[in-house]
Amino acid sequence: MSGDGTAGGPATGDPSTGDPALVVTRDLEAVFASGDGVGPLDLVIAPGEQVLVLGPSGSGKSTALHLLHGAIPHTIDAQVTGAVRVAGRDVHRTPVAALADVVGVVAQDPETGVCLPDVDDEVAFALENLGAPTTTIDDAVPRALDLAGARHLGGRRTDELSGGELQRVALAAAVAAGPALLLLDEPTAMLDAAGVASVREAVARVARGGAASVLVEHRLDEYAGDAGTAGLPARWVVLDRDGRVRADGPSAQVLAEAGRDLLADGCWLPVDAELDVLFGSADLDSPQVRAGIAEHAGRVRERAEERSRRAAVGPVGAGALAGVGEGEVLQACGLDVAPLGAPRPTRRRPGRAVLRGVDLTLHPGEVVAVVGENGGGKTSLLATLAGVRPPLAGTVLGPRPGLVFQNPEHQLTRLTVRAEIGAGLPPGPARDAAVDDALDRLGLTDLAERNPFRLSGGQKRRLSLAAVLVHDRPHLLADEPTFGLDRHGTIAAARALAAQAQAGRGVLFTSHDLRTVAAYATRVVVVGDGRLLADVDPHTLVRDDALLTAARLRVPRLVRHLARSAPGAATLRTELQGLDDAVLGLSQTAGVLP
Amino acid sequence: MTDTQPTGTQPTGTLLERRNPTVKVALLCAVSLTTLFLFDLSVLAWLWGLGVVGALATTRLGARRLVLAHAPFVAFGVGLVAVNAVTRPGPALVTVLGMDVTRAGLAVGAALALRALLIGVVTVAFLASTPPRELMVSLTRHARLSPRYAYALLAAHRMLTAMPRRWATIRAAQAVRGSGPALPEAGRAVVTLLVGAIRGAERTALALESRGLGSGPRSVWHVVPLTWADGVFAVVVTGVAGAVLAFA
Amino acid sequence: MSTELGRRAPRLALKDVVLMVTLGVVFGFLYWVFVQAWNGLAVLMGPAGDLAQHVLLGAWLLAAPVAVAVIRRPLVGVIAEVIAAVVEVFFLGSPVGPLLLVAAALQGIGSELPFALGRYRHFGWARYAASGAAGAALVFVFTAFRDAWWGTDLLTVRLLVQVASGVVLGGLLAKVLVDALARTGAVDGFAIGRAQGVIPGRYERRVR
Repeated sequence: MSGDGTAGGPATGDPSTGDPALVVTRDLEAVFASGDGVGPLDLVIAPGEQVLVLGPSGSGKSTALHLLHGAIPHTIDAQVTGAVRVAGRDVHRTPVAALADVVGVVAQDPETGVCLPDVDDEVAFALENLGAPTTTIDDAVPRALDLAGARHLGGRRTDELSGGELQRVALAAAVAAGPALLLLDEPTAMLDAAGVASVREAVARVARGGAASVLVEHRLDEYAGDAGTAGLPARWVVLDRDGRVRADGPSAQVLAEAGRDLLADGCWLPVDAELDVLFGSADLDSPQVRAGIAEHAGRVRERAEERSRRAAVGPVGAGALAGVGEGEVLQACGLDVAPLGAPRPTRRRPGRAVLRGVDLTLHPGEVVAVVGENGGGKTSLLATLAGVRPPLAGTVLGPRPGLVFQNPEHQLTRLTVRAEIGAGLPPGPARDAAVDDALDRLGLTDLAERNPFRLSGGQKRRLSLAAVLVHDRPHLLADEPTFGLDRHGTIAAARALAAQAQAGRGVLFTSHDLRTVAAYATRVVVVGDGRLLADVDPHTLVRDDALLTAARLRVPRLVRHLARSAPGAATLRTELQGLDDAVLGLSQTAGVLP
Repeated sequence: MTDTQPTGTQPTGTLLERRNPTVKVALLCAVSLTTLFLFDLSVLAWLWGLGVVGALATTRLGARRLVLAHAPFVAFGVGLVAVNAVTRPGPALVTVLGMDVTRAGLAVGAALALRALLIGVVTVAFLASTPPRELMVSLTRHARLSPRYAYALLAAHRMLTAMPRRWATIRAAQAVRGSGPALPEAGRAVVTLLVGAIRGAERTALALESRGLGSGPRSVWHVVPLTWADGVFAVVVTGVAGAVLAFA
Repeated sequence: MSTELGRRAPRLALKDVVLMVTLGVVFGFLYWVFVQAWNGLAVLMGPAGDLAQHVLLGAWLLAAPVAVAVIRRPLVGVIAEVIAAVVEVFFLGSPVGPLLLVAAALQGIGSELPFALGRYRHFGWARYAASGAAGAALVFVFTAFRDAWWGTDLLTVRLLVQVASGVVLGGLLAKVLVDALARTGAVDGFAIGRAQGVIPGRYERRVR
């Protein structure tokens, strides 16, 4: 592609040698100072080919993408061996910027992936850098926005866009110059369901334009949507825990070869693939699948009955939590919630509420989910309930709850894991004991002297939970506790919350993942249009199409299907938890937190 | 941070919005530099008054917003008057709390305060009429600023708008666990804020690079014009200021 | 394939440029938060407010030593400090106006000098202290001229207070901050990370 700066041009291989391949890597390997590494990669990607890279957390999927356009080693330090050519250019001898005419990149974080204040300028930026004439840019900008499904965003300011909108702008900017290769690094990782769908559709449209793409994605179930495996790129490359290529080929072949390992390693697979691995059939209505789910759900039910019998006999269950009375509810009355980070309201500027007239009660022992669109005020509601943000109107009654933030890094302020957990507790032997206990309960004892910021994503999340649990508050609030976690991590986090409820705490968490909500919440509070739309059980929610539309929620196919035959929320819950059991059963280390 | 939303160097903008940003920067610098040698209260008062009239006439700032925008500059000025009044040698006018207030001190203090107000009103007019993108594009073309720095600054400007929310979230996370003494906690929050910002900086740099920034000669889509009107504007502003200096 | 390729280029890497700008933005924002809280207090304190400002002056020097310590290249301190001033003057608004850029450049030169003399290889407590002192002293000369301090009662007191503040808040505090950042791993990808005992070009691949 000869930098002529037009969108949607045909893709070609190496123009100088006539080699039809667009990307060729040979023995490509990167090793970081930490000792982690990726490769050796031997990939040949044809023009227009669609490739999906998958693997467990920490296997180096993003690193593999960075290697393809030279971000490693040019911008990110690593020791790199082997060779990689894109469109005939030696990537190791070409600065990242000099590949911009043939490679477009969309990264994970929409906030840092878009750099300029206006949408149109952002899309034009890539063309300006290639020196395209302004008349060409005039045509290319609306065309690229069109292709990315972002036509309506033209003329807007970037600081007023949602994450999903920003990612589509980033995609438009990436395709503006008509690259032959598109690198997509978990482009939907930070989006809600509506954002995921919009970006997926945009990526599919771009692919039809003829560009090859390499997609790294870990929430495959969400990304694939209702289409399942068929909604994903045709060729899959699987990396194992050590970053070596485990399988490479058509999706069906790769699933047959490595599907079980992927699921056992905690990867999210499209639901049809997951069912196929677990029960030998991808069809939800097949007898094997129905019998399999029923069997696992039965065991979940038995466990629950056993638990309640024990709780009735001895003081081990609910009574074990000191200081939690029977009737200590957390109650919000007529709450008007101010957005977090907005300027303090003054008499002249009374402040705009994101949520108005919220009435909410959280009882000990229940698990309540808060769902609704991103930016709908869920996080601000939690901050207000936790008492860190004064409400604009109304009151919060009851004991002060603990709050776990969505981004665990926002919560980290100490130099060691141990100090982090102990922060805010009065010093003394009681603190040391409580900290040791929390370290042990969340499997952080080995990491006690590490710097909190050096932990992996899953470890940070456990730390942020431990640091709140140690305060022993009667209620626990959590903002998107399963966000960005792999399958095992998601199950572990949800079960950790459920365990808190069994110990007598009231648990309230926000989530955009309706599968987790239906599997672990006893009640769902639906937020939309600046108010509470409903307070229902999960089974009712997933069957109420009007409510789902009003709150702009999408129910995963699996949940929709199970809810149709399940008589109520309890059955739906046990069936989904049973599936989680089945996944954990595949691996020895399962059940351990991520 | 100003809460105004300038719309750009468009033919439809106000008089000041249509002026070339580099010219405005140069004039702002000239004002700032000239005041360095000014201690005459009437000259400074005249210049400030003209600045207020000019800001009202050539920007979208209303009187109310302009008054509000003056607050930090007034506060700065009051401090200057207070300290200079009691630290300059000379015969005491009055004695406050055992400190001699001198005529010379009051005069210097008032001059420094007026200086702050003058720079303040010009700065406010500048901010209200100059979108960051136009400023950077103009500076790369008319002041030979490297595009790498210009676009890094633009990306940073986006980061700046997100900063209050990040800071509030970090502080809220500390408050919810019942934190210790205020100052050390704030210091720890600074490290947390910096870590997030530095990681964001690495990602931003990669985004800019992968869009081709720095690969060679670049074109500019919407050029920010530098016209004869900007020359006239510069001449008028310096002429008026010169006249005040000469006659006031 | 060596990691050194392209690194010895005469100009700074884009990553380093964005980092300097980011430091400017973060410190610019923090100063702004600080000044909002400060202005009211300063008015209440009257003449003492100005002196108290001297006590805290050192904090304004932070951007330069942090940038130098992380990026370890010549002129980085000066550029970072000037960028911080640009953010303050042209994005946030400052009562000092563009002259702040001059002050910032002087500050940056002062702060960077001790590190430059150590050829950007030595980053001990004494060097940070010297950096803070030099930065504060250079900017003092400029502010004294701008605010016509010559001949006032407090000239010597002001100088001493400002230099002391520079040493503590603009020097030693910078080291505390840099060390804390280094421990978090956030700056591993910059020169400071490469300087921390890793031999470039020979990493051992770990197998799990």
